[in-house]
Amino acid sequence: MELEEEVPKQSYSEKEKGEIFNQEFLPHIHSMYNFGYRLTLDRDDAKDLVQDTYLKAYRFIESFQKGTNAKAWLFRILKNSFINDYRKKSKEPAKVDYQEVETYYNSEEVDRQITPDLRVESLKDMIGDEISNALNSLDVDFKTVIILCDLEGFKYEEMAKILDIPIGTVRSRLHRARNLLKEKLSEYAKSMGYNKA
Amino acid sequence: MNNPINPFAKPDQQKPSCMEMLQTILDGQATEEQKQYFKMHMDHCMPCYKSYDLDMSLKQLVQSKCCGGAAPSDLIEKIKQQIEQKSS
Ligand SMILES: [Zn+2]
Repeated sequence: MELEEEVPKQSYSEKEKGEIFNQEFLPHIHSMYNFGYRLTLDRDDAKDLVQDTYLKAYRFIESFQKGTNAKAWLFRILKNSFINDYRKKSKEPAKVDYQEVETYYNSEEVDRQITPDLRVESLKDMIGDEISNALNSLDVDFKTVIILCDLEGFKYEEMAKILDIPIGTVRSRLHRARNLLKEKLSEYAKSMGYNKA
Repeated sequence: MNNPINPFAKPDQQKPSCMEMLQTILDGQATEEQKQYFKMHMDHCMPCYKSYDLDMSLKQLVQSKCCGGAAPSDLIEKIKQQIEQKSS
């Protein structure tokens, strides 16, 4: 079962379960809802996904060690629920070819500036929904790493655990994701005439 | 002139790329030593100097523009109700 960790099963009283749930799980509900919304792009689906995640977290609460990283644990459950339950139901596009991503990252090309032509000044002009829309438009795997890292402040190691991928892959996916985001924003900037000198 | 040891160097002594160094700095995973080294590196590496500002601004913008606000107010109640139903 995906939620099992190396940690031995805990044994909690009903009262303890309630405390863990209220004090360690529930405070993350806003982050969880935002993550769910960014993944599904639908407010009702996001609600279902978060609700599902919390019910699972409660059901498997004895796999959770009190006082450890509840947020990472919850994000992991939500991500897995999304892949296993939600994604199957909807017609999500096929997964990204990571082989290609890895090759890209390891090539010499990356040190040359192949990043899109985007300037700090044009970024500063994006005061509306441009950034949010650009993030939403990325493939699920790419937006996920940006959300986890830039929005939620998870460390590479935590991200590796949440996503079940090696740290090297976290780094390369993050790099690729940021470039894609910049590409989108550079398109916006161009279409709005920001980049004109 | 002697080159200082690069604190970003990997265990196999492989030279880290600019992009790898920048990413470590950007995501707050660098040690003090690495931060110092990178500051000096930026003095003579224009791509890093330029990317640093852009990437930092983008990261901050994502933080301020994509946090999404609060979850619907009835969500917590719904979850609590469901759990009570199941455990009774
Ligand atoms: Zn450099």
